[in-house]
Amino acid sequence: MRSLLAFTKKEITEHMRSGKILFLGILFVLFGIMNPAVAKLTPWLMEMLADSLAESGMTITEVNITAMDSWVQFFKNIPMALIAFVLLESNIFTKEYRSGTLILSLTKGLQRYKVMTAKTAVLILLWSVGYWLCYGITYAYNAYFWDNAIAKSLPFSVLCWWVFGLWVIALMSLFSALFSTNTCVLVGTGGVVMVSALLSMIPKLTEYLPTLLTDGNSLIYGVKEPDAYIAALAVVGSTALAALVGGLILFNKKQL
Amino acid sequence: MDMLRITDLHKRFGDKEVLRGLDLSVPEHSVFGFIGQNGAGKTTTMKTVLGLLKADSGEICVNGERVVYGQTATNRYIGYLPDVPEFYAFMNASEYLDFCGEISGMSKRETAKRRDELLELVGLAGETHRVGGYSRGMKQRLGIAQALLGSPKLLICDEPTSALDPVGRKEILDILLAVREQTTVLFSTHILTDVERICSDVAFLNNGVVEIQGSMSEIKTRFRIDGYRLETANEADRDAIRRAFPTVKAEEGNVLTLTEQDTPMFDVLRFIAEQRIPLLKWERCEPTLESLFMEVTKK
Ligand SMILES: Nc1ncnc2c1ncn2[C@@H]1O[C@H](COP(=O)(O)OP(=O)(O)OP(=O)(O)O)[C@@H](O)[C@H]1O
Ligand SMILES: [Mg+2]
Repeated sequence: MRSLLAFTKKEITEHMRSGKILFLGILFVLFGIMNPAVAKLTPWLMEMLADSLAESGMTITEVNITAMDSWVQFFKNIPMALIAFVLLESNIFTKEYRSGTLILSLTKGLQRYKVMTAKTAVLILLWSVGYWLCYGITYAYNAYFWDNAIAKSLPFSVLCWWVFGLWVIALMSLFSALFSTNTCVLVGTGGVVMVSALLSMIPKLTEYLPTLLTDGNSLIYGVKEPDAYIAALAVVGSTALAALVGGLILFNKKQL
Repeated sequence: MDMLRITDLHKRFGDKEVLRGLDLSVPEHSVFGFIGQNGAGKTTTMKTVLGLLKADSGEICVNGERVVYGQTATNRYIGYLPDVPEFYAFMNASEYLDFCGEISGMSKRETAKRRDELLELVGLAGETHRVGGYSRGMKQRLGIAQALLGSPKLLICDEPTSALDPVGRKEILDILLAVREQTTVLFSTHILTDVERICSDVAFLNNGVVEIQGSMSEIKTRFRIDGYRLETANEADRDAIRRAFPTVKAEEGNVLTLTEQDTPMFDVLRFIAEQRIPLLKWERCEPTLESLFMEVTKK
């Protein structure tokens, strides 16, 4: 247990000293502020454009901005935050393979599963803190400007998106155990997400695919009920678990 | 008892057979020189001992326990210094040793004590900079410190001196000599003077097998060549000796060499005395590791 904590501590120190924590912090806070800000600024932008639009024959009826617009922004922007997160963290394992730093730790008797557990845990921690920080900021601004109550199933919809992020982290761990370069990790993780997105165009499959969890808009507008997401959640839970267990098995056999 | 025993180790990479039935035994408390050319398979052997590579066949025992690939329990007896040690660049030396202590399950008190002793031993005490800025010599010394942290029974160093200047090399060799009381040292190298300086035992790796192995003195006696080297003052004398004894070999300049089997030494000496040939030099040829190395790798 102590060695697991020590390795986790090492990961966190590394993230702090390399400035990754700072970067992620700024990123998520910025996105958190941007969501309500963009919504708030929309009428003003419209007004700015109104004159030129009027000349071209379009008239603008008064736009009514609500918390809904801000949440739509949230679901539009959070994928970008996740992509930035994955790009930044794709080398969390591979840079240790390349430099050979892991070899010294492992020959000191550190069990391999602890390496995997610590790294995955730190990824989950960073994603969770960042995500909920972003959510919290958006939520607070929305409550201040408008009323969050009009978004239906809001807690459930943001929970789904958070779970989707965890699923991506499980994929990253799996591909990091399988491959030795971060390009391969990126291609593998991105590839699986892409396949899921492509398959979800087949209507029959949509409700079972992980990418459904990213469709927060349908939930907050009440187009879909939370029940419709249960199957996808089950698929995500089981594939993430399989990815983690598979990753552990592969990592134990990996030649470093 | 042998600290490390390798029997009939085979390892191939693709179609390249690197180790073909390697046998090696490293006695306790020896300083063991593991000699081989570039690409001979020294690193491969060591990584297999550490369970970092999977052997195709053969058995390895460390301190009497079998080595298994992957999760290698025998590593608790071993301190390892890789050929190019890499540490977490964002830590400083004492933070790194603390980290090593924590992950290997040493108590805080013990870690702190060993850390201070070892930093002193390798000359990094008071070094507060981060490892990222270290020179190769400093990294090598930190590498030895981390390898010795857990007071291992076997210290394995992969070419610890190859990248260093003469002063750095001497420092590392002195450290290795200093720790032989507490542990067994196995180190690979192709620098033969290092071996002659500190080793009690040696093994030559060539063609995937250990060709010669034994204690330093044993090997020197076994491979003693009863030979002599002499130098005459001028060419005329040199040629006179060669005419009288055709089995004497000419080297560069006025140097001649002879072996006892081919040319009885006293006959030559008598000839020199009778002819009153002035000599600049008359010496016995000691077998050097270099000549042995050449002989082993020539085959
Ligand atoms: N992972 C690998 N894949 C393929 N071939 C390898 C691998 N590792 C080593 N080899 C080959 O095995 C041979 C032995 O390599 P090894 O590193 O053990 O030699 P060495 O004795 O340590 O040499 P050096 O003195 O250069 O360090 C080399 O010819 C090398 O090309
Ligand atoms: Mg090598």
